[in-house]
Amino acid sequence: MTDATIEKRQAQSGVTITRGGELGEHVGLAGEILTVNFGPQHPSTHGVLRLVVDLDGETIRRVKPVIGYLHTGIEKQAEALRWQQVVVVTDRHDYLSPLSNNLAYALAVERLMGVQAPPRAEWLRVIMCELNRLSSHLVWLGTSSIELGAMSMFMYCLRERDQILGLNEEISGYRMHTSYIRPGGVMADATPRFWELLEGFVQAMPGHIDEYEDLLTKNPIFISRMQGIGMLSGDDAIALGATGPMLRGSGISWDLRRDRPYSAYDQFQFEVATSELGDCYGRYQLRIQEMRESVRIIRQAVDGMPGGPVNLDDRKMMPPPREELETSMEAVIHHFKLFTEGYSPPPGDVYQAVESARGEHGVYLVSDGTHKPRRVKFRSASFVNLQAVEQMALGSMIADLIAIIGTADTVLGDVDR
Amino acid sequence: MSSLEIPGGVLERGVSAGDDWIRVPREGILAALTHLQERGYRSLCFLTAVDHLATPTVQPPAERFEVVYQLRNLASGHQLRVRVPVPESDARVPSAHRIFKPANWDERETWDLFGIVFDGHPELTRILLPDDWEGHPLRRDFPVGGEPVDFSEDHELWQTAPSEA
Repeated sequence: MTDATIEKRQAQSGVTITRGGELGEHVGLAGEILTVNFGPQHPSTHGVLRLVVDLDGETIRRVKPVIGYLHTGIEKQAEALRWQQVVVVTDRHDYLSPLSNNLAYALAVERLMGVQAPPRAEWLRVIMCELNRLSSHLVWLGTSSIELGAMSMFMYCLRERDQILGLNEEISGYRMHTSYIRPGGVMADATPRFWELLEGFVQAMPGHIDEYEDLLTKNPIFISRMQGIGMLSGDDAIALGATGPMLRGSGISWDLRRDRPYSAYDQFQFEVATSELGDCYGRYQLRIQEMRESVRIIRQAVDGMPGGPVNLDDRKMMPPPREELETSMEAVIHHFKLFTEGYSPPPGDVYQAVESARGEHGVYLVSDGTHKPRRVKFRSASFVNLQAVEQMALGSMIADLIAIIGTADTVLGDVDR
Repeated sequence: MSSLEIPGGVLERGVSAGDDWIRVPREGILAALTHLQERGYRSLCFLTAVDHLATPTVQPPAERFEVVYQLRNLASGHQLRVRVPVPESDARVPSAHRIFKPANWDERETWDLFGIVFDGHPELTRILLPDDWEGHPLRRDFPVGGEPVDFSEDHELWQTAPSEA
């Protein structure tokens, strides 16, 4: 191609055309590499992700994610809030798994303070986090399938997800940004109606998962779009820092719930699902398996739920009950201190990681002994997993990139924070 | 943990809220990370920085910044935090992206938000903020809400109170 033709075609198409051969040996049939912008307003990028993709024909030679479109400065905001107020911002970065985010933050603060929530609170946390994993996987399954042409999946998945949001609403008053799990316990005990709804949900859910499998697992179109696509070896997954389903889908059995138990997870029996396939289909199978295990954990938690309070009995950290405010001067003072100044963990730092639906979600807190955190760092699974997308996509077709981003399951709010 | 010998020396070691940590000098950080990786710490959970500007703690750190590496041994599950003190006047650290691949984006983020330079990084550009952003917002002297409002014709009116009620 002459320079004049390149310029003309660039002007017509709006894409950058580089001269063939400039990128080493990756020269296609026509001898040219096309650089295209995939996103940020592309419907299959799960948010506002922009990928700069170098194409040789339809084959991907380079993928460069460009992020930051959803950056809201959550870590900076958290530094301006009191310790107990930060819970509210943790809901909002990974908006598909607010409860896991709450839990990681709550556990980190509790470790700094040197306290532990009562058993009933820990068990309620487990139930809510597993419900959250289900709802997040359901959104993943629905949206990833719709991108591969399985339109009806979206309806089925959102049907069940809506029940989970209903459970969130019943227990916390909010459907999505629940802020239910807080340092020192949970917002409130579950209502009788919650247990009723949960029982119905736990009984029906395995049948629904069978239903999804009927539609997808042996579907020839789905298989041909997923099998052998987006290969990631176990060593690569570790080297790239991938966690969660991305790591387990490559045959590495690592799950923080089992390997570094937190909250009450050491009291539950469950299998850590892995897949040796290392491709998109393996990650699909693995998430289906994880959904079954989540239902199993919830079943155990409902059956063995311990009694007792759901909050710490520590007036320096938890507000006194409403009725005490009318009779006890001390309660009024505690209430006033807690809601004006808050509490102050001793100086130090802590890293607490939990297994969210996307992988390792960690919170690193630094306390300088005052009532506001010195530093709050969210180690988000999506941010790290997104870096593995290039490795998975190299050499694939551009259409496969959809399936690859889909099974990486990144939430852009979580990437950008 | 205490048996771990680090080439380049360890300035200090301790436990904070149950987490083991070591502090190593800036010159020895790459050797320390390589050594730890060979000893099974194959996973870098995250890398970030902390700004200790005007910290009210009894013994304030000697340097303003601290770069923090959180490592994990996947076989034993043990976690180790490696801290590197970084002076404000010379805020630079050697890049660890060759040892741990995920450090690439973490270092870009730390440069973006703290203004700490990672020597040897292949592409040290802003990652979360726009390329033309001024300042590094996670520094403690960067004000919250101090940025100008884009896309508003009379943003000066929005930001200041009316002169008369």
